Amino acid sequence: MPELNVLYDIIPKLLPFECMQMRFMQLALVGLLLLAPMVALMGVQVVNFRMAFFADAISHSAFTGVALGLILAINPHWTMPAFGLLVGLAIVAGQRRSALSTDTVIGVFFSGVVAFGLAVVSRDKNVARDIQRFLYGDILTIENGDIWAMIALLAVLTFFQIYGYNRMLYIGLHPVVAKVHRVRVAAYQYIYAGLLSLVVIFSVWAVGVLLVTAMLIVPAATARNFSRSAGGMVWWALLVSATSVVIGLLISAQDWARTATGATVILVAFGWFLIGSGLGLFNGELNVHK
Amino acid sequence: MSYVRQPNGAAVTFENVTVALGGNTILESISARIPQGSCTAIVGPNGAGKTTMLLALLGEVPYTGGIQISRADEGRHLRIGYVPQRLQFDRGMPLTVLEFMVMGWQRSPLWFGVRRSYRERALELLASVKADGLERRRIGALSGGEMQRMLLALALGQVPDLLVLDEPASGVDFQGEHVFCELLDKLRCERGFTQLMVSHDLPTVTHHATHVICLNRKVAAEGSPREVLTAETLTAIFGIHMGLVDSRAFSCSSPCCTGKSSHA
Repeated sequence: MPELNVLYDIIPKLLPFECMQMRFMQLALVGLLLLAPMVALMGVQVVNFRMAFFADAISHSAFTGVALGLILAINPHWTMPAFGLLVGLAIVAGQRRSALSTDTVIGVFFSGVVAFGLAVVSRDKNVARDIQRFLYGDILTIENGDIWAMIALLAVLTFFQIYGYNRMLYIGLHPVVAKVHRVRVAAYQYIYAGLLSLVVIFSVWAVGVLLVTAMLIVPAATARNFSRSAGGMVWWALLVSATSVVIGLLISAQDWARTATGATVILVAFGWFLIGSGLGLFNGELNVHK
Repeated sequence: MSYVRQPNGAAVTFENVTVALGGNTILESISARIPQGSCTAIVGPNGAGKTTMLLALLGEVPYTGGIQISRADEGRHLRIGYVPQRLQFDRGMPLTVLEFMVMGWQRSPLWFGVRRSYRERALELLASVKADGLERRRIGALSGGEMQRMLLALALGQVPDLLVLDEPASGVDFQGEHVFCELLDKLRCERGFTQLMVSHDLPTVTHHATHVICLNRKVAAEGSPREVLTAETLTAIFGIHMGLVDSRAFSCSSPCCTGKSSHA
């Protein structure tokens, strides 16, 4: 993969902080800035249509993907997204064909995936040592190839969202009405689940299994407090997400902080959420007293 | 100017349709028809399979037997408008009525705004269902009656040959239901679609429907309300004597029912 040196070299000029002089920090920032619009766009739909449990199930498939890679002697960078994608599509297929409730179908897949991962990990002590990486995330070790993969995913996801955002809204509100009104419900559901699975897996690299759902939900939930329309919610989610990753990465690299990057990013987003909630309460009070 | 258009909606025929789900037979070899341009009501007790019959027609449940849909203009795809009982959504969701209306037509995402042509079309549709002024409201802040009219406007946006309504009046009071049915009668006259609805409310059905299918897993009776909604039939399907149906109510005032033109 060609190096993106031009891109990386711009960063210390735009953010003249000492920590941003280091190449791994520049890569981490580019990775997070590629991830931010993806989690914002997908997160809006995750929040509006209560798909957090789906995202959770996919994130927990990450370390099973790693374990599979080790067993099959394939680079986990390939097995993680491939396995996540497989689990995501299998959940949608299960939901569409089963009489069980959505939560139950996801719960069943969730348990199966986690149990399989634990079984594999328990056999191999070397894998067990690597698990912490997946729990807390490891954005600072992101490589040039990962950046290219994220650029490709962002391009596909942006195209899908521009083409299908309105139709996804339709399906989320009432899939039967959408289908009767000539929306290709099944195709949209599978493509969305596939893309969300890949975004979740990339987010696991950035913030870890424990915080991946927060990465999707917090910017979108914050956006709800600020916006008055479905269109506005997307822009607010993009703003919250992008500012959180930049500020979170910078804070985590400061000597006085020295915190995990993923956790710091989420804390900044959570700060946004508190501000939004406060404003919401304030506006509510104003409306009551008018 | 309002006028009565010749019916050009779809006609539907159910032939020995059986639906079995999870080992339970929900509909058992039903044969019924929905005449072109009619307001057909499906009535029956809870668990009679009314909604399942709609879902079979919409292709949402597997069935055996045949469902034929024919219409005057066979040169294009059949268009169905569907008004569900309710939307299940998070009421805090920041989605305006205008955005809701255009989400099925506009390809460019709503975050780039609503295009003027779609906005105008949405406002026209909202006005046609007496929902003017709702376009800026969040859908979560609508009352039951407003939500119902918004869903009807969305379905009318399909320019349907067949309008299917699943208990359209659930969640509104008697007066609201009557007003809604009057509105539907007027729209059916103007636009000529065929209307199929599930209803629990027999007085409303007797007043507004032109064709009734009494269902209790099987078709118990079918025909005009006057022929079908007899004490014997209702006692047979509901299990109690339905003295609520007043014979004076068999007087649909809609021009579609009387067949007279009205010019304003």
